[in-house]
Amino acid sequence: MNIKRDISTNAISSFALSALFVLTLLSILLQHIPQKLSSAGDKLLEINAQEGVANAVTTVVVYFRGFDTLGEIAVLFIASFGIGLMLNFQVQNNQNKVKSNFMLQLGARLLFPIILLFGVYVMTYGHLSVGGGFQGGVIIASAVLLMLVSSNHFQLSHRIITLLETFAGVSYVLIGLIGLIVLDSFLGNFLPHSASQLGLLLSGGIVPIIYIIIGIKVGSEMSLIVQNMLQRSDND
Amino acid sequence: MIGVIILGTLMALIVIAFVAVIEPKLPDAIILSMGIGLGAVVLFVLFQAPDVALTEAVIGTGIGSLIYLMALKHLGERQ
Amino acid sequence: MIESILYYFNQTEVIKTIVTLGSMGLFFVGLFGLLSQRHIIKVFISIGIMEIAVFIFFIGLSFQRGLTAPMLGDAHTTFIQMNDPIPHAMILTAIVIGMAVLALGISFAIEYYKLTGKNRLDEMNEMKN
Repeated sequence: MNIKRDISTNAISSFALSALFVLTLLSILLQHIPQKLSSAGDKLLEINAQEGVANAVTTVVVYFRGFDTLGEIAVLFIASFGIGLMLNFQVQNNQNKVKSNFMLQLGARLLFPIILLFGVYVMTYGHLSVGGGFQGGVIIASAVLLMLVSSNHFQLSHRIITLLETFAGVSYVLIGLIGLIVLDSFLGNFLPHSASQLGLLLSGGIVPIIYIIIGIKVGSEMSLIVQNMLQRSDND
Repeated sequence: MIGVIILGTLMALIVIAFVAVIEPKLPDAIILSMGIGLGAVVLFVLFQAPDVALTEAVIGTGIGSLIYLMALKHLGERQ
Repeated sequence: MIESILYYFNQTEVIKTIVTLGSMGLFFVGLFGLLSQRHIIKVFISIGIMEIAVFIFFIGLSFQRGLTAPMLGDAHTTFIQMNDPIPHAMILTAIVIGMAVLALGISFAIEYYKLTGKNRLDEMNEMKN
């Protein structure tokens, strides 16, 4: 009887505290609802027509605010590094694993190249339609997760994945430095980007190249995170 | 028409979130949190933002909840 | 009668008020779960619910009714009458970083469970007294 009273006191006090906090927030927010959040977007949409990219959000993420994307990739790298330190992956013997179902094995082997192809498509068409590097990279990582769950002999080679990730990270900064040398601005657009090629695959200068580099890096990092978390412990 | 649909989706989302927080069995709570991600994708499509909707569908619902399920295998349920 | 209700709910001011109230309600549910639940995975789920509430609030405030998505297609060939692309780019970054930080936190929880065998918040009192 006493324990039941303790649990309900905890729930009531947390309910009251969170209600107090949210009501304070609401009393400030409901008075100052803004008409328009920012007015820089209209100006950016006008400048965007000169870049030759059909997707305005891609231009903002990669070109107008490319330095923030560099910081975001650094945060992802630090998170993957921390997870790799904590749960270090050892190559394990496959004899004491339970064999999965026959339908799961067959279905995963059929679906794995299709999902991989879809991820590469979303990554490459980021500047023409909805998509991009982040989305395509995570789709590739989910295909790798499907193969890791369903089969016993599938393992990603650690050296190739870290080589890919290093190459992608270094080439991002190298492209920025080349832009600094040629055009006097870091991550400047030094490849030809005429507005007459709007909607074609080879358009926009360095914007699709940088998005593909981001996709390779995010895909390989998420695959490593997924493989680290899926290992079997010793007493399974 | 759009205003009524936004209101209905937000109310359904709040109910699903409340059930997901209260639920004592853990695999059911993780699957209900996938439902919240799906409701957020519907709201982002109604707000004319397809890039954000695709990112939330892939990351929030796809990999995020799967990481919770993989961690549940390592941790125990109610001890 | 129904048409007047539908017309009332379609105005931009009313949509912004609905989005503010709804997303703050979702934030309240997430905060309640964070303060009252004891298992460590429930705590992470509640933090994720709070993050989704803030994203819905941000994109809902920058939405103007009548304008379309900020990309070209078959029907639109110039960049006029479009929504704002800057909040979309900011929320894209925030979603990815939120997922990375939660994954790192879960790996800490797994390592702690391997060391001491505790996964509820009211038993983790190693540093007390």
